[in-house]
Amino acid sequence: MLPDKSLVEGIARVVWIEGDQAWCEPEQTTSCGHCASTAICGGKDPGMGTIGRRLELRRFALDNPYALRVGDRVVIGIASRALIEAALIAYGLPLVVALVAGLLAERLLRQDSATLAAMLAGLLVGLVLAHVIASRFAERGVLAPRFLRRAAPFESCSGGSQQ
Amino acid sequence: MKEIALLMIGAALVNNVILARFLGLCSFMGVTTRIDTAMGMGLATTFVITVSSMADWAVQKYLLDAYNLGFLRTVTFILVIASAVQFTELSVRKVSPPLFQMLGIYLPLITTNCAVLGVALLLVEGRMSFFSATLFAFASSLGYSLVMVIFAGMRERLALAQVPQLFAGPPIAFIVASLLAMAFMGFSGMSTG
Repeated sequence: MLPDKSLVEGIARVVWIEGDQAWCEPEQTTSCGHCASTAICGGKDPGMGTIGRRLELRRFALDNPYALRVGDRVVIGIASRALIEAALIAYGLPLVVALVAGLLAERLLRQDSATLAAMLAGLLVGLVLAHVIASRFAERGVLAPRFLRRAAPFESCSGGSQQ
Repeated sequence: MKEIALLMIGAALVNNVILARFLGLCSFMGVTTRIDTAMGMGLATTFVITVSSMADWAVQKYLLDAYNLGFLRTVTFILVIASAVQFTELSVRKVSPPLFQMLGIYLPLITTNCAVLGVALLLVEGRMSFFSATLFAFASSLGYSLVMVIFAGMRERLALAQVPQLFAGPPIAFIVASLLAMAFMGFSGMSTG
């Protein structure tokens, strides 16, 4: 079965159950194409900056009418359009504001230090704008991961089942 | 304005980070299985390259050049890049925790992306002004993102194609990458034509 192109799928592992919610931790693909998880990369007490620590910070809650248990692997999905829009807001908007501020400073003042200050200020303004817009996104719930199915035993976080 | 356009076209297309300078090949092969993930990675890398290049330019001018510490450039830049990635991670987490949950996967990968260090070293060696250096870094990273998205699109189509067993997977991806690099060589004529 071909994957649904409108969704970006990922695999997460249930790490604890709290009431009717299951807290999940995403398995991520490393640049080498292998899957990473706190179980592999972080040990029991992952230090600051390790992959395990980063994954812990990215834990999220899913409604649990599916009787998920700790250790279950699930496939989650998010609309790919929402992901791209979110990336444009988070990364693109601050950069564009910074570059416009820099261009104005370069044209008006023609000093490196003034351009540097203007771009830093622009970057901060852009981050604040991104924060406001991203908050509206979050209120609409478009960025919340959805449960799609339980992962097959050898299903890989890089997509498809490993043979 | 003409200089800005030439600088950006040169950095993005003629001297493309991936296909002309062969930097960032790890993420080029590793994160281009889908267009949307390639775009996410490209945008995150664009942000990090631009921000770290701004910081690298300032460190080079006000610290390394001022105190004759040029021999520490590579080590210092690696430190600055790692800090820029941390700053990016922190700012995205503050901007929107849901965004961080979705996009944070790309950030650890960028720390080990040699394209970030490569662009910083190139712009310092180019002795550019701050604004030109930042534009150069921004355009280079746009070129990186463009190639990532094009290549991801090609790989999505390749996944549906009948490929001989011997070439399936990475071999055919490398062949396609080489064809794409040859296509981008066409842009080099723009500088001499």
